[in-house]
Amino acid sequence: MSDEKKPNDRRSFLLQAGLAGVASLTSVALPAGASTPDTALIAKTEPAARSFHSLGPEEAAFIEALVNIMCPADQFTPNGVDCGLAIYIDRQLAGPYGQGDGRYQSGPFKQGKPELGLQLPLTPEQFCKAGIAAVNLACKRDNGATFDQLAPAAAQAVLEKIEDGRMTDPRLPLASWFNDIIYALFIEACFADPMYGGNRDAVFWKMIGYPGLPATHTIDMVRYRGKPYPGAQNPKSIGDFS
Amino acid sequence: MAKRLPHRRVVIVGGGLCAALISRQLTAQGVDVLVLERGIDHANGPAARLPSQRDELRWAQRQGLMQNWQRETYTLRHTRHEESLPVRWMGAFLPGEGVGGAASHWNGQTWRWSEYDPALRTRYETRYGKSAIPKEMPLQDWGTTYAELEPYHDLFEKLFGLSGKAGNIEGLIQAGGNPFEAPRRDEYPQRPLEITEAGIIFKAATESLGYRPFPGPAANSSGTYLNPDGQRLGPCQYCGHCERFLCEAHAKATPDGLLYPLLRTRKSFEIRTHAQVLHIDYDRQAKRALGVRYLDLESGEEYQQPADIVVLAAFTMSNTRLLLLSGIGASYDPTARHGVVGKNFCYQTQSGVGLFFRNRWINPFLAAGCTLTAIDEYNNDNFDHSALPFLGGANISAGVTNGRPIRSRSTPSGTPRWGTEWKKANAEWYAHSCGVGAQGSCYPHVENYLDLDPVYRDIYGLPLLRMTFDFRENEVKMSRWVTEKVGEICKAMAPDIMGPVKGLQGPFDSRVYQSTHVTGGTVMGADPRSSVVSTHLQHWDAENLFVVGASVYPHNSGYNPTGPLAALALRLGDDLVRYSSRPRQL
Repeated sequence: MSDEKKPNDRRSFLLQAGLAGVASLTSVALPAGASTPDTALIAKTEPAARSFHSLGPEEAAFIEALVNIMCPADQFTPNGVDCGLAIYIDRQLAGPYGQGDGRYQSGPFKQGKPELGLQLPLTPEQFCKAGIAAVNLACKRDNGATFDQLAPAAAQAVLEKIEDGRMTDPRLPLASWFNDIIYALFIEACFADPMYGGNRDAVFWKMIGYPGLPATHTIDMVRYRGKPYPGAQNPKSIGDFS
Repeated sequence: MAKRLPHRRVVIVGGGLCAALISRQLTAQGVDVLVLERGIDHANGPAARLPSQRDELRWAQRQGLMQNWQRETYTLRHTRHEESLPVRWMGAFLPGEGVGGAASHWNGQTWRWSEYDPALRTRYETRYGKSAIPKEMPLQDWGTTYAELEPYHDLFEKLFGLSGKAGNIEGLIQAGGNPFEAPRRDEYPQRPLEITEAGIIFKAATESLGYRPFPGPAANSSGTYLNPDGQRLGPCQYCGHCERFLCEAHAKATPDGLLYPLLRTRKSFEIRTHAQVLHIDYDRQAKRALGVRYLDLESGEEYQQPADIVVLAAFTMSNTRLLLLSGIGASYDPTARHGVVGKNFCYQTQSGVGLFFRNRWINPFLAAGCTLTAIDEYNNDNFDHSALPFLGGANISAGVTNGRPIRSRSTPSGTPRWGTEWKKANAEWYAHSCGVGAQGSCYPHVENYLDLDPVYRDIYGLPLLRMTFDFRENEVKMSRWVTEKVGEICKAMAPDIMGPVKGLQGPFDSRVYQSTHVTGGTVMGADPRSSVVSTHLQHWDAENLFVVGASVYPHNSGYNPTGPLAALALRLGDDLVRYSSRPRQL
């Protein structure tokens, strides 16, 4: 199991985490030493849709900055915005997930142990937006600028502080905001089927070698057991079969 | 006012696996059966066809086939001295909603439990003395034996066309099978599934250590199969979309694929979907169930459905909750150690170690729900506990069941959670990683139980079920010990990188999927003071009320719970045929 799923182990990997992955915001030049984007990948990627269904302008700027910090353009993928990650998050917030579909929403609302799960009277969309506002407020207080205006290294530092609970808010559990909402959405944006707006051109599936659909592997199971699977180079998604 | 419907012979609550198996036995004899299922029939929907079936976000992440937590969830606290809170989005376990229930979206791992599991208290007392069982561990025998259930295991395995390798046919140990397997009359109906690359590595390593590995028993069809009812299974596609998904290839054996289509052709069978049962009508004086009340979720109308015989065959949690909501039987009170409904609530003790092989292609996407290679040397009481500070054990397996990219990627410890280094690790290790897991027993504890929550209610205004649960000392010690054995096996597998060797750590976390194997709450037994239902699953306080499912297990074993649950349901079907012709205490 990877550390992605283990909030308890966050501290141990943070100690080892290099900051080599820090890279550009769309509007900022690449810092020295950052990886060069794969131009072939960028060329294949059409301009990202920029009309947001849930996020307002400041919120969209925040999320776009965030996905570009978490997914810098490098030898593996274009930057987060060009991978569709912000659009994915926006669409999820506007859709059933963001509106709290399937979540128990009755009161009373009391805070308890983390293992009992989130207890806020907010939908995921409301929580996401409240968190963005709170982080921006803290960024203005500490850095004199909103999150999207920070230099990449400063923005990375802010995310790390939120993630491991060093940045707090008097009203909102910011670590939970990041780990339970933002981070979960980020991972889904990267690895869900491209039809949801993220993982453009199945770029993350290509990166790891997940072949996608149709996954009818009765013969492959034997033929490619223990061997590289050719279909992993060119993953197919639901859209390819629709 | 609820509208009163025409009277029925047998009404079964919950349209999952148990209901289907009971109905199969009853309707074969022409007994009138009505099944009430709260969900829909997914058979012709997007979950059951390509390409929409292969949608990890929709079916796995957003739980498209699961209980709607907005309508009904469970509350949780780790000890009875804490305040319970509602789990607002359950991650730990996933009850189904719809025809087929949780067995429509299962992986298909179908074990017979250890031969001694139905007499576990006797087993431990005989082997280690009466004082070996801690007083806070209310283990109890089921009052039935494996031998009584064996014919029903056999029937179920043939109905579901299991793929596997027998380890013990009528007492003769079979090479290549599980030597600890309870004796069976026959080989599995189909040959085992193909082994995975991870299974090959695990098999070599465990053999070198002197263990006897074997392929996990699978309700994923290794070939084409025609069952005794004339229902067909297609060959498994190894697509890695079993658990949390329906199987568009009809290769995963499910009640919705194999049983309900047959039942619908039988005149005495009816299933009503969108029927949310809220209450069992109970005559306290006569000690009889009168029928059930349910809400039609399409019309909003409430109905009173009278019946001669009522069977609770819903998910573990719903069986317990309906008895509590209906005031049938005494709610378990841990202070007075009195009452039975809700006691012996157990779960499954899981742990695992991650492995990374630079030069081996694990290809996790070439897998099925049951492609696991396992050993059973450290499961349950298959090893000597006399010098150990715990009871129970775990099945150990290299179980690669899918490579779905949102949830099933692994990266070595120390990998950052985002950024270029994170991508690099994913690119490097996705196709080259696997895990070895320990799926362990979970024994009852006097402080682990279910009752009604005093504060929180469901969308219909009824109290939610409250879990008071944590992994107690016995399970934590067992997990630590067995996971050390997992670590030794992993070292022998010689990976380039190996994750930390850690047993299960409490506290129980509702956010993290562990397994859907919650058990107990309406336990079976020979003594009404310690059980809710008799050894024939007949309620002690209502002769014409029966309860079946994992809720009747007095403990959870180191196996998936489906095997004995199906055997008990088939036996109950036969018992009900007899009971229906001559009602009495069975």
